[in-house]
Amino acid sequence: MRIRLKGGRVLDPANDENGVAAGRARDIEIHDGRIVAPTDLKADAEYDLGGDVVMAGGIDLHSHIAGGKMNLARLLMQEDRRTWPELPGNFCGCGGGRAVPTAHATGCRYAELGYTTVFEPAMVGANARGAHLEMADIPNLDTGAYLVLGNDDFFQRLLAAGAGQEQVNAYVGWMLEATQAFAIKIVNPGGINAFKFNARKMDLDEANPHYGVTPRKVLTTLIRAVTELGIPHPIHLHGCNLGVPGNDETTLATIAAAEGRRLHLTHLQFHSYGTEGDKRFSSSAARIAELVNANPNISVDVGQVMFGQTVTASADYMSQYRNRALASPKKSIGMDIELDAACGVVPFEYRDRNFVNALQWAIGLELFLLVEDPWRIFLTTDHPNGGPFTTYPHLIRLLMDRDFRNAQLATLNKVAQKHTMLAEIRREYSLEEIAILTRAAPARILGLKDKGHLGPGAVADIAVHKEDADREAMFSTTRFVFKNGRLIVKDGVVVELAQGTTHVVRPEFDRAIQKDMDRWFDEAVGLKAQHFRVADGELRGGAGPTVLNCQGVAP
Amino acid sequence: MAGASTETIHDVVCGFCGLGCDDLSVEVEGRDVRAKGTICPEAARLLRRLDVPDRPASVAGAPVSLDEAAAAARRILTEARAPVIGGLGTDMAGAGALVDLAIRFGGVLDHYASDGLFRNYAATQRTGWLSTTLAEVRNRCDVLVVVGDDPSAVWGRLFERFFPETPLFADQGRKVVFLGSAPGEKAKAHLARAKVFHHAASDAVAALEALGSFVAGRQPPGESFGGIAANALAGLAEELRSAHYAVVTWNAAEIDDGDLVAERATALVDALNVTTRAGVFPLGGRDNIIGVNQLMLWRIGYPLRTAIRGQESAHDGVLYASEAALADADVLVWVSAFRPEPPPAFTGKVIALAHPETVFEKEPDVLIPVGTPGVDHAGTVFRMDSIVSLPLGALRVATLPSVAEAVRRIAEG
Repeated sequence: MRIRLKGGRVLDPANDENGVAAGRARDIEIHDGRIVAPTDLKADAEYDLGGDVVMAGGIDLHSHIAGGKMNLARLLMQEDRRTWPELPGNFCGCGGGRAVPTAHATGCRYAELGYTTVFEPAMVGANARGAHLEMADIPNLDTGAYLVLGNDDFFQRLLAAGAGQEQVNAYVGWMLEATQAFAIKIVNPGGINAFKFNARKMDLDEANPHYGVTPRKVLTTLIRAVTELGIPHPIHLHGCNLGVPGNDETTLATIAAAEGRRLHLTHLQFHSYGTEGDKRFSSSAARIAELVNANPNISVDVGQVMFGQTVTASADYMSQYRNRALASPKKSIGMDIELDAACGVVPFEYRDRNFVNALQWAIGLELFLLVEDPWRIFLTTDHPNGGPFTTYPHLIRLLMDRDFRNAQLATLNKVAQKHTMLAEIRREYSLEEIAILTRAAPARILGLKDKGHLGPGAVADIAVHKEDADREAMFSTTRFVFKNGRLIVKDGVVVELAQGTTHVVRPEFDRAIQKDMDRWFDEAVGLKAQHFRVADGELRGGAGPTVLNCQGVAP
Repeated sequence: MAGASTETIHDVVCGFCGLGCDDLSVEVEGRDVRAKGTICPEAARLLRRLDVPDRPASVAGAPVSLDEAAAAARRILTEARAPVIGGLGTDMAGAGALVDLAIRFGGVLDHYASDGLFRNYAATQRTGWLSTTLAEVRNRCDVLVVVGDDPSAVWGRLFERFFPETPLFADQGRKVVFLGSAPGEKAKAHLARAKVFHHAASDAVAALEALGSFVAGRQPPGESFGGIAANALAGLAEELRSAHYAVVTWNAAEIDDGDLVAERATALVDALNVTTRAGVFPLGGRDNIIGVNQLMLWRIGYPLRTAIRGQESAHDGVLYASEAALADADVLVWVSAFRPEPPPAFTGKVIALAHPETVFEKEPDVLIPVGTPGVDHAGTVFRMDSIVSLPLGALRVATLPSVAEAVRRIAEG
């Protein structure tokens, strides 16, 4: 099957091509789902793009789209589902919801925005099989999941017993393989575990009440593990003290703790709070952005707050238990899980007239605008924790249009306006920078060599937008979206449901760990290790995963 | 199959009650299957298979081929005005296929054992709750409160799995307090290493409410609550407050006021978590009800008891409960692959995707006998905690279609 996209302005930062700035249109050719060098061969289908903007399909490296906590959120927030019913005329007719959309709605809404790959950033090992079943039901998207590690009792015991790095690496390798994961996520390093022993807070150098292990030790050990196992994506860290005023110091100390090794700080906005001012809540975005700028080993995503009703869902039960007093509507779910991790689900409404919420909004934007290197910062709302992913077009306009941004700012809580430097920041993102944030850079930091660009050999995941000076309007819809070369969205409407794949990594590790795992699961967990393991055939309705073999040491 | 040798299969996963035991041993001789070693009576009964010919598919009692049965079922569904897809005793693949069937033909989806689930949801959806899972109970729980009847009758190995020989943390003096009926012999045997107490409660709701008050430091007025003396409850409250990790468990399906028990247990655990750690552990999970419900939530956005009509769905825990929905229905698709559970009395047409040993009061209009997940074919089921799911294997060569396969035949034609 040969497809030709004719006369598009190609925006492909990974290959240094900017047809928009150059005012140059060209054809893109697809053969059997991959992009190929242009030929004169007859195409089976041609699409006239008429100078529209062509980019690789969007990649969201942090969006909660599957797993037990999302189902708990759906259960708890039936209001969200009732308020956002099935779209009329939508042919897949299967579910709805906004903050916690169903699998079908997730796949369709993302596709309509031009996204084709999304990573679930917090898969709990005990729930891996269920998360993979759920991901298989998401149409139009390739997916992958980061395994939550570091709070599990097996790992804490290893550290408490002074296990060597080799043994830790074998454990991490075994867990990645058993749960069919793509990267390692640490959520509140050791804090979730400490909460099970009734600790209510956990700072970087505080000792776990039972194991004596510090978050710093958890972090540095796992950074080394993924480096030595050759996992492309660095440790994906949800740090200590999420949402706590004064957590800026912890965040700065965490960056230093990486000691130059690669580390990804996720939803940094929630970790950039100072205690200045009479409300004891202030922005530390400038201090933190400065340190991020000075440390090329650090990458971040923002977790921008967008106003309105949402549901927060996190493995960080320690923090979510603290936040449950703020629940709106007033209900929440918490769960300790399987000597493994936990979860907390708290509905929340971000209000523009609320001082804290308005300042959170401004802090997120300050981070976006003050972190200089677009290859090290990613566009996220931590869906749905800061807001649903469907708000991305609005967020993109906030980044690209200073007048619009300042006009929005002027409508917010007055005191919050005085606590932010946002109005003085002149930076406006370019289209090319948006393309970097939303496709080229995520592909690079995830190690997905055939995604996020439009060069020959790339997977033919392609989004075509009609250019519009109103960037929110431009990014709210797509003229065409192709998934593996198949047309799935036309003029903003999903026309076909494509089955995606699930990305997993496979490192090499010392398989002698198997006997330890068998014993641990038998005696402590009360489940056989062989039944904890998720087989390849359990992914994507039997199709199995797309495997990225890892060898040698990651950069 | 005469002369077949006997094979013993170890570490067999059981998908029947929702506890998720995965250490069973099963002897297979040809098509004959029997459990051996440590197993609960229900699993032993439901795993047992004889080497007998399969019951054929049938239309109005007359044997037909699978294709003919599927075609007859499709005709009924095409003409149906208001189908109910009930029973829903099936693995994840079957559940997915049945949701597709409901999207295509319309229908109300409910599981036959959902009463307990919705009693619990009355509490969850109003206030939420703080819960825990099996491995946490095994290792952390130092005070367990069991509300209602001894659950060992339904989950034969519950206490064996809650109380292993060498828990990681809670090794000394684990306490189990029964608020309701007394523990039976089996429970006592499995709880040999724990200190067991029993308070005969006539009204578990009142007892739990008072307990919650005592835990919160209040002194509720009265000498006794739900049949338990105030000082006994005050003492228990003190035990709970000084526990490292308290757990409250109940089976809402067996308690008339199960919704109120769930609510009071939730409030009690909320109060405990202010100063120490605690969680609820609601019992349930029969015939993959939790898995089917999970799939409904991610596919449709609503739990069981949801109606799909046209391209819209609506959830109503009362209106779309099987019994109420059947009052307005003209077709019942009855699905029970784990056990020979007969369909409820119903005057409309019945399409049964049923365990081959099901005894029907009235021959269904269409019967397609289906294999059992974990016996005849592989599949996935969820445990009662809704987090862990398990891979069921096949113990013998399947001669009957799975639910997923049968539904595909009906839908595709």
